[in-house]
Amino acid sequence: MLEILIFGAVTSAIYAMLAVGFTLIFGVARILNLAHGSFYALGAYGAYVLTTIFKVPLIVAAPLVVVGVALFGMVVERVLIRPMRKSQLAVLMISLAISLVVEQALFLTFGSEYRNVPSFIDQKYVIGGVDVAGQRLLTLLVSVVSISGLYLFIQKTRLGSAILAISQDPEAAQYMGIPSDRIFGVVMAMSAGLAALAGIMAGPFLSVQPSMHLLPIVKAFAIVVVGGLGSIPGSIVAALMLGYAETLVAYGISTSWTEIVSVAATLLMLVLSPAGFFGKRAAF
Amino acid sequence: MQLKNLDRGGALVALTLMAVLPLVFDSKYLMGVLTVAAIYGIWSVSWDFMSGLTGRENFGHSLFIGVGAYAAGFLNTTWGANAWWGLPAGMLAAVVFALIMGIPTLRLKGPYFALAMLSGAVIMQRLMLIFWKFTGGEEGINGIEPLIRSPLYFYWFVLGMLVFTAALLGGLARSRWGLILKAIRGDEATCQAAGLNVTYYKIASLVISAAFAGMGGALYAHYQLQVSPQLFAVVTSITIITMVYVGGMSTIYGAIGGALLLTLMTEMLRDFGEWRLMIYSVALILILFFLPQGLVAPTWKKIRRLLARGRS
Amino acid sequence: MFGHTFSKRSFTRLAMALSAAALFAPAHAQQGPIKIGLTTAVQLQVGRDTQEAAKIAIDEINAKGGVLGRKLSFVVADETENPEVGINAIKKLTADEKVDVIVGGYTSGVTLAQLPHISSAKTIYLGVGAASPAITAKVKQDYENYKYIFRTGPINAVHQAKGLVEWISGHLIGELGLKKIAIIGENAKWVQDLVPVLRKGAVDVGADVRMVEFFDTTTSDFSPLLSKIKSSDAQFLVVVLSHASSDVFAKQWYDARFPIPYGGIDVKSQDGDFFDRVGGKSISQVAVNFAVRAPLTTKTVPFFDEFKKRTGRVPVYTAFGTYDSVHAYAQAIERAKSFDTNAIIKELEKTSMVGVAGYLEYDETHDVKAGGKFMNLLFAQWQAKGERVVLWPKSLRSGNMIMPPWLTK
Repeated sequence: MLEILIFGAVTSAIYAMLAVGFTLIFGVARILNLAHGSFYALGAYGAYVLTTIFKVPLIVAAPLVVVGVALFGMVVERVLIRPMRKSQLAVLMISLAISLVVEQALFLTFGSEYRNVPSFIDQKYVIGGVDVAGQRLLTLLVSVVSISGLYLFIQKTRLGSAILAISQDPEAAQYMGIPSDRIFGVVMAMSAGLAALAGIMAGPFLSVQPSMHLLPIVKAFAIVVVGGLGSIPGSIVAALMLGYAETLVAYGISTSWTEIVSVAATLLMLVLSPAGFFGKRAAF
Repeated sequence: MQLKNLDRGGALVALTLMAVLPLVFDSKYLMGVLTVAAIYGIWSVSWDFMSGLTGRENFGHSLFIGVGAYAAGFLNTTWGANAWWGLPAGMLAAVVFALIMGIPTLRLKGPYFALAMLSGAVIMQRLMLIFWKFTGGEEGINGIEPLIRSPLYFYWFVLGMLVFTAALLGGLARSRWGLILKAIRGDEATCQAAGLNVTYYKIASLVISAAFAGMGGALYAHYQLQVSPQLFAVVTSITIITMVYVGGMSTIYGAIGGALLLTLMTEMLRDFGEWRLMIYSVALILILFFLPQGLVAPTWKKIRRLLARGRS
Repeated sequence: MFGHTFSKRSFTRLAMALSAAALFAPAHAQQGPIKIGLTTAVQLQVGRDTQEAAKIAIDEINAKGGVLGRKLSFVVADETENPEVGINAIKKLTADEKVDVIVGGYTSGVTLAQLPHISSAKTIYLGVGAASPAITAKVKQDYENYKYIFRTGPINAVHQAKGLVEWISGHLIGELGLKKIAIIGENAKWVQDLVPVLRKGAVDVGADVRMVEFFDTTTSDFSPLLSKIKSSDAQFLVVVLSHASSDVFAKQWYDARFPIPYGGIDVKSQDGDFFDRVGGKSISQVAVNFAVRAPLTTKTVPFFDEFKKRTGRVPVYTAFGTYDSVHAYAQAIERAKSFDTNAIIKELEKTSMVGVAGYLEYDETHDVKAGGKFMNLLFAQWQAKGERVVLWPKSLRSGNMIMPPWLTK
């Protein structure tokens, strides 16, 4: 039981980090960014490259990678996505193509075998009789801190209010002189950085190979829709639900069924309450 | 009037070319590639018919393809039926699933509809893997018989089915049906108010789209002589959407052009070995970026205009 | 028209010259080189090593003048781990490249899907990577259509299961006294063929099989599975892995300081750099290898050395099968003194030669023979600094077995 509690929390934490970034960029810029998984992958690979090839200590490499991927996200938004914003399908397709290019670039550079991302903590902890790898606990902590940080940032700072304003009423925001375009870039950067952080934290114990972006994006998409597109609290709640549902099924029945459970839950949600828990235009 | 004749002429020329090309080059390999391209053409046309016209993008088209293929596979191997039963069986299976998925998702639009259909396909894929004792799991069903032993005649048969599909769906699209579907895309509420049975049209378009996808799936099963859960994968659905996009949405013939183009491109890039998919993805970005209306349909429209002007 | 230019005399001289040339030119020189089609998962180690081994064999044969006067050449088609891509690869090799023989394979599911297409192309196929017995079963069921299929390696899943049972009986139970075992395997065809034989065999030699479980090949979080294994009270975990995330499994096993040692068939663990790839976390894992750099046969050490010289790394199992396949094929042609497919097949069936991992002979289903002087399963353990120590069979033992570092107090 305790095992499920702990491992479920770690799984939910990773999902939350991915989902929050995904829902953020949608809420603000109405962009369904299918390349979001690529930021996750780049985070993990970035950590691998800096630590293994350039021998940079992990504690230095991590922030470097996060900033690097954030900048990459900004550039991608500016150059490739913004011009396509008239059509949601176009944005979807081009972000998909971008994710493919990133995957191929990683494959050509690193090959298809798994790569090793070092952990921050290498010890094992025993909590109530349950063996937990230190890295997993750290991931949980980092997730909570970073998402809380993001939330506070949005609520308390001027930039944050600007973001809120755009998400609630893009036209009014423009009238008020808020530079939407520049803000999109910033939001994309935050979204990408968060995903990269997830990659750095989870890379040590999950798979790091070129196609690692696929599963997270499908899950993030599902979580975000269930929680309500554009709502951060919604994404967190949905991430928790999904993370725990999967863990329960994995321990109770078998790992083969976890995928189905989460997808079926998504489908059910869509059929019963398409706007998700917190609705489409919930302020966050 | 003129344009229609030009369209027909163009289609005839294209069809003749396709039918004769493998003979001209005496290449069994080319024939194989074109057969697959034609089947993708059937899938793309069927997708375009619903999603292109109604604007409800279906990200789970692979579900219908997969059930069609598996139905044909099961029928042929486990139940030992004659291979030809696979075609109607595939269509029927797909129709059943279209109703299962279509009815609950009626009120969904945009990304929600896309996600719902995608979920359906993913669930099916997983089920095929979980119940591997019955479905062959990862390896799927092997030992399916070919429909027509001669690769050439089979190829012509598939071409024939492609023409049939395109003609039927294209005809529907140009008729009152198409108008209503486009109207529903524009403003569903008004259509409802005007007394149109919107539900019927939405379900019907999905069912028709699914039926042909399922048929294509059965054809594919009898060509590959094997079906695997890969058919249900997201990648399959997205490949088809890309083909339609590159060809030109909601033009029906554009979908065929897109299917041909992308299938041939994938094969021709084989010589680049590991770089193949990279070049393909970059080419995709360029097309999406610079040709938002697609490649095939706008090109044909330009050619058509030139020809029409040439005449007058 | 020709008039003076082409007098009757010069015409006769020309005719004589041409006939002379025809007499002395080797009969097959006009046919060009023999094309070998390699089909494999190009991006993986098994794929790269298939190609390297083919090159080595081809170079050796060409250096001695080729086969019946013709040189060997090869082309590669990527079959990935996906049946659809695999079928396309076969089509490309047979219809487009028109190869004379196909060598390769890795995933049993892909190979099974390719069989009807290979058969209709009437091309000989020598498998080097897939282990499911179903592949060669067709040879007996439908000889006329499937006589083209041979398997040079690895030994099939059932033989592998028997090899595992021998090791469990002799080493785990016999020497270490570990009777309680848990068996986990990925959900792939060859594993589904293997595990029932393994379970029955283990029970027959006195093992207490606490649990048997299959898991999804794409699983990336093994915590639930590890938890189940822990509560099963097993003393040793026997794994059967090929496509699954062995790397991730090793890391998670280590990170949790899992109290049960593990080992078994783990194809990815055969990679020379596996230990480094997982940051040393596969320490104490016992993994099956089909050959190591030891004089199993007269060809073993020279092959390993040549391979290391060319690539800087140690070969994985597909390399042995490929190297042997190319030589077997060449020798079959020499014995048949013909390039006729059916004649070659007859001679291939009579193959009896020294291979890299053992003697090579095919049984009546064209499957490679196993055991004794033929190919065997070897068990090697990852020890400190990434050193691989052979533990079994006893005759080849090069060191003592170690336990996971956290279990030795």
